[in-house]
Parts: sequence; structure tokens; C-alpha cells
Amino acid sequence: MRIAVCAPQVPFVRGGAEIFADKLVDELRKREHEVELVTVPFKWYPGTRVLSQAFLWRLLDLEESDGRPIDLVIATKFPSYCVRHPEKRVWVLHQFRQAYELDRTDLGQFDESVQDRALRRSVHHLDRIALGEAKRLFSTSQNVAERIARSTGLAAEVLPHPPQELPYRCDEYGDFVLSVGRLDRAKRNDLLLEAAALDPSLRVVVTGEGPDRERLERLARERGLNGRAEFTGRVDEDELAALYARCRAVYYAPVDEDFGMVPYEAFLSEKPVLTTTDAGGPLEIVTNGGTGIVTAPEPHELARAASYLLTHPDEARSYGRAGRQLAAGVTWDRCIERLLG
Amino acid sequence: MKVAYHSPMPPERSGIADYSALLLPSLRERADVQVIRRGRGRQARGADLAVYHIGNNPEAHGWIVEALRRRPGIVVLHDFVLHHLVAGLTIGRRDGHGYLDAMEREGGVVGRLLGHGVLDKRIPPLWESRPADFHLAGEVLDLATGLIVHSHYVERKAREAGYERRIWRIPHPAWQPPPELCVAASQASASGASASGASASRDSTGGYLVGCFGNVNASKRIPQLLEAFARLRRDRPDARLLLVGATSPGFDLDRRLQRLGLSADGIVREGYVSESRLWSLLAGCDACVNLRAPTMGETSGSAIRQLSLGKPLVVSDVGWFSELPDDVALKVPVDEQEVNTLHAALELLARNDVVRHSMGVAAAELARREHDLERVAELYTTVFEQAAGGEAVADAVLGEVAAAARAVGIEAGSPEATDLAQRLAEVELGR
Repeated sequence: MRIAVCAPQVPFVRGGAEIFADKLVDELRKREHEVELVTVPFKWYPGTRVLSQAFLWRLLDLEESDGRPIDLVIATKFPSYCVRHPEKRVWVLHQFRQAYELDRTDLGQFDESVQDRALRRSVHHLDRIALGEAKRLFSTSQNVAERIARSTGLAAEVLPHPPQELPYRCDEYGDFVLSVGRLDRAKRNDLLLEAAALDPSLRVVVTGEGPDRERLERLARERGLNGRAEFTGRVDEDELAALYARCRAVYYAPVDEDFGMVPYEAFLSEKPVLTTTDAGGPLEIVTNGGTGIVTAPEPHELARAASYLLTHPDEARSYGRAGRQLAAGVTWDRCIERLLG
Repeated sequence: MKVAYHSPMPPERSGIADYSALLLPSLRERADVQVIRRGRGRQARGADLAVYHIGNNPEAHGWIVEALRRRPGIVVLHDFVLHHLVAGLTIGRRDGHGYLDAMEREGGVVGRLLGHGVLDKRIPPLWESRPADFHLAGEVLDLATGLIVHSHYVERKAREAGYERRIWRIPHPAWQPPPELCVAASQASASGASASGASASRDSTGGYLVGCFGNVNASKRIPQLLEAFARLRRDRPDARLLLVGATSPGFDLDRRLQRLGLSADGIVREGYVSESRLWSLLAGCDACVNLRAPTMGETSGSAIRQLSLGKPLVVSDVGWFSELPDDVALKVPVDEQEVNTLHAALELLARNDVVRHSMGVAAAELARREHDLERVAELYTTVFEQAAGGEAVADAVLGEVAAAARAVGIEAGSPEATDLAQRLAEVELGR
């Protein structure tokens, strides 16, 4: 089959969504499909730019290429699913979160002006139309499926995907808690640093880059963490796998996250995950006392949970191994079978 | 966002006053809603949006139409037929010319002549005899910058009347029954029995109890109901009919009951009742009947309450009632077989506990899913936000697209511009 995988591109930013789109293309190609990644730069501000940029996708004609038909398009996240095609399938990583669960939070985009309120509703309306056109609609997690149902009334099939391929392994249960991901406020690394400030035995390693790095490093200095908080910046795949292999546990507690690949990566390294009750998607696989620890989003609760894992290596190992079993069941073979079925 | 909200409010005895009293607390959690009361129109100044609840009762809604004339806005159209309202605003204020103009606008010269007939008392009032033929909604539709309706029926009627602006369909919100009735209903649902056994008002004989709530008059098809019920009683002497509501002037209920041989042991009669008494009476019924003809396009608050309590319904197959799912309501066409069909429906529900129970479960589920108060409030808020700022958003998007098109030499009216317009229309961006 000739397949176009559609994903927006925020220039100079690369995160889970980009890795996911590349991986999907690779996996489809491995299965003898002719596949192309189609991207369009996306800028969602100021004002109505979110809609006019989304509209760019609508202008694309992906029904055929160079005189030959494109059999299928698979769109991933907003606004790529505005693309039109008679065989459009959408595997939703997430909608435009500022218009939904992040609205009226610190991470929101729309103010209380009449125009901004209407703009937000226009994004909802566009979603209803664009997602409603899909021949099949999938979401990467139950959390995302529920959001789609609430906002559009559409039912999405839940289809989680495997994380990026790394040389996952477990070398030891070391003395630090690892945080992985882009450094922005939504990932709530400040919560982990505040927890470390409360427990002098807690050491944290924070990987990744992002707009929140400067603030986080300043916070670590202000809290006197004195080397107990290490910021590695962006690391390559081998370094990341090595950090997973050596840590005691992995911290992952964004606000109402869609899905997040970090817990799966932790599990494949046989490491438990520390998360919070308001983390959203991760709670579908991180269970308290099963595959990790789920706490209230409070520094002292988090410090207590981290301390427990540091002082109970057998439990940490047991949770991590349970996670590995769970993660091993999510494969690209299964994903692609359902996606193209 | 500040919304000027024009509606009758309790203690006025109006279904729309009850509606707003139910909806407002949830709306106020989402927007700055200021209720404008009769004679206090100045309070609407500074609002981003004005909303007008309009029904057919001139006493309750006349002042709201006057406010709408001063400042057009979103109209919540609770009835489509507004003939009685217009008659009250014209003839009721000694403005015969106004009535004639309204009739001419809708019915042409024939309409005007019929209007003369009404003014001269040569023909019966048309709002009683032929309301559906002359809805007289034209002025309100002209002034409405957008419409909120409760049914596809009213949406269709508005379109047929030439309304071209935006229409949003928002279901009527459901009341939460009193807690003790909720518990009874859920227990009964679990056991497969009727919830009515738990009610204080349950018929002491334990017989089949049919309820009918609202004004007692011909347009509620009470004559047909009495006839069908009298037939049911011949085979089921323990069946009883509960009639709750005021008897309309000129409707001789007692004479009809006497003629059909329906005595006090078959008919339970209550007038206007308090809200708590209403719930108790509703809970006591095994089935509820909601008949109408002609329909003014209204939604029945009473039927919504019955759904909340998980009661099987028997309804006329007209207007909003026709749109109820078949698994919650038995529908009776308004035709020459009406009494026969009604009798068959009542008999089926009396005879078959399983049907009654499954319809009740479906009714409660419908109320929970479709008529949930918070869902309705969210839909209202969506409309408010779209109506207040949507035009500016659409203009801005169109402006950006047009500017980009111009920059690459796409002229208005060119095939490329047509293609752009088509793509915009597909995703409903712009106007």
C-alpha cells in the first residue's frame, strides 16, 4: 500500500510526537508498504494563527502523487488530521491541548476575551469535523479517547504504541531517580526538585532540553541541592539507555498527560515509575504497588515515595519487572495490524 | 464574558421559568450571566451578548420580545408557534393594526382578511383554532441573531420559515429527582420492579396507575385519553388514571367523565401541585401519557421529569415527542385511529412488566446521557462563546487566508479562490 503519514512539525523542536511519526513510517516500511512522512510547520500563535495554520493541511491534495494514488493517510496530531482523503485514518496522539484540558491553567493559551473564548470553541468545532471524517479513529490512550469523546462525541479505539527502540536493559538499581523528557512546565520537574529538597538522601538526574531548563536549574540552586540534581541536557540513545539501566526509579508526572512513552521505556528497563494521581495517561499503566508508586502531586508525598523505593530495592525490582511484562505486550505488529485492518 | 439573560423566573408559574431556574446555577459556573427581570432592561448594558427565552405566553414573554426589539440577540425558541404571544402583544394592547400586519406578513391578503375576522369576532381566535397555520414567529426570527432550539422539529420549522442564520439544538436539561426517589428508582431498576412501589402516592389498591400531567384541555388530547382509558377499565377495573393540572376554561371534564362512566374510583384528580408533590405523584405512576395536537413545537418539562424517574412514556407522534427514541416512548399518531392506538399502548404497558421495565431503564439512561444538566450548560456556554466572538474569529481567519492568497496573485472569483472557499467551507472556517 502507498501510505502518507501526516504529522505537524514545530521547527527546531523534537520530542515524543516526532519520534513516534518517524517510527511509524519505519515500521510500515519494514512491512513492505511504500510510506512517506508528510509534514507542515505549525505555529499556533498569535490570535487565530492556530486556525489559519491548521487550514494549510486542508489545502493539501494527498489523493495521489506523481500520477499514482495514495491509498491511505494516517494523521497523528492536531492539526495534521485536518487533511482530506477518502481513506483517512487518525491515530490521535493529542488534540490541541491548550483548547481543552490546559485551558484556564498556567499552561493555557486563550484568555477571557470574547474573541479568545470563541477561538477556543472554533478549535473544538474544527476537531469535530476533521476527526469526524476519519474512516477509523484511534487514540494512544484511554485518557485521550475520553477527551475526544467529551469534546467531540466521537468514539476512538484505544491503541497504545511501543516506545522508541533503545538498547533497554537493567544493570542495577542505583541511587538516583531519573526524569526523562522535554523540559517544559507541563512535565513538572519542579515537583521532583522540591521533593529532593525535602529529602537529603534523594538524588535526581534530569535529562532533556526545553524552555523550563533555566528556571529548573535556578530552583535547584535556590533549594541548595548542591550536586544532588544533575541536568544532563539532551543525551543520545546509548546514554539514555544507560541512565535507564542504572537508575532506581523513573519519575514521570506531567499534568494530565495524553499517553507518554517514558513509563514504557522505564518498564522495558525493569524500573518502577513514580507518578502522581493527576498525571492522566500514565495512570493507565502505572499502578500503585503494582508497577510503581502513585502519589498526590505534593513534594512531601513524592519524597516519601522516592525514599521508599530507595530503601526497598526488592519492591523496586518487583514493580519494574511487572512493568516489563506489561510493556512487552505492546508491539508494532499488533499496532499495525489494527491500524491497517 | 457577560451575558444578559432574559427569562421569566419563579415564582411565575411558567415552564420556562422553571427551566431557567434549573439551568442558571450551572450556567453561572461557566459565564457571567446576569438575569434581566421585567422592567429592568438597563441592566443589559455592557453585556457581550443578550439571550432571550421566548415562548407562546404573552404574559410571561411579552416584555422579552420588547427587549429583543431594542437589542437583537440569541433567541431560545421554546415554542415555534407564537400566535398567542403576538395576539397578546397586539390585540391585547388594543393594537389591532399590529395584529393585521403580522397576519398579512405571514398569510398575505388572506391572512389579513382572516385577521379582520378575528378582530370583528366573526371567526374564532386563530391562536386557538388554527395556530399551526399561522405561527406568527416572523418578527422574532427576524430579530434573532441566532436560535437555540430543543428539537429538530423546531429547527426544521424555522428553516421552512426562511430563517438562515445559525441554529443550535440543545436538549432540554433534566431535573435531578429528589434523593429518596432516586434511591427507590435505582433499587427498583436493579430488581426489575417498578419504582412506584416506593412512592407515598402509590395507588393503595396496587393497581395499574397511568399519569397525565399538565393543563386538562382538548389540545392535550384529554378527550381521547379518557375514551381510551375508559376502554382499558372495562378489562382492567383496577386501573386508575391520575390527572394532575388545572382544567382549562370551557373544558367540561366532569361531563366527559360522567358520559364515559368513569367514576371517582377510576380517576384521581389533582390541580396545580407543588414541585415536591409533583415528583411524588410522578413516582407513583406505572406509565405517563403526554399527548398533544396541535403542537406549538414545545418540549415538555413534565416528560423530561418522567424520563429522569425512568417512566415509560406514551406520547403523541408529533413535534419533539416524535423525536424521542422508540425504546422510551410508545408513539400515538394523531389520526382517526388515535383512540384505538392509545388504548393498545396503555394495554401493552399494563400487561407486560418486561416492556414497562425496559422502557423505564432506557428512559432513565436517555435522561442521564442526553439531558444531563452539566452537559446542557456546557452546550449553552459553547453557543454563548461562539455567538459573542465567532464572527470576529471567522473574519480574522478569512483575512489571513485572503491576504496569503492575494500575496501569491490569487484573484477573487478565480478557480483557485473557489477552491480555497470550498476548503474553508468543508471545515466551516470563515462564513
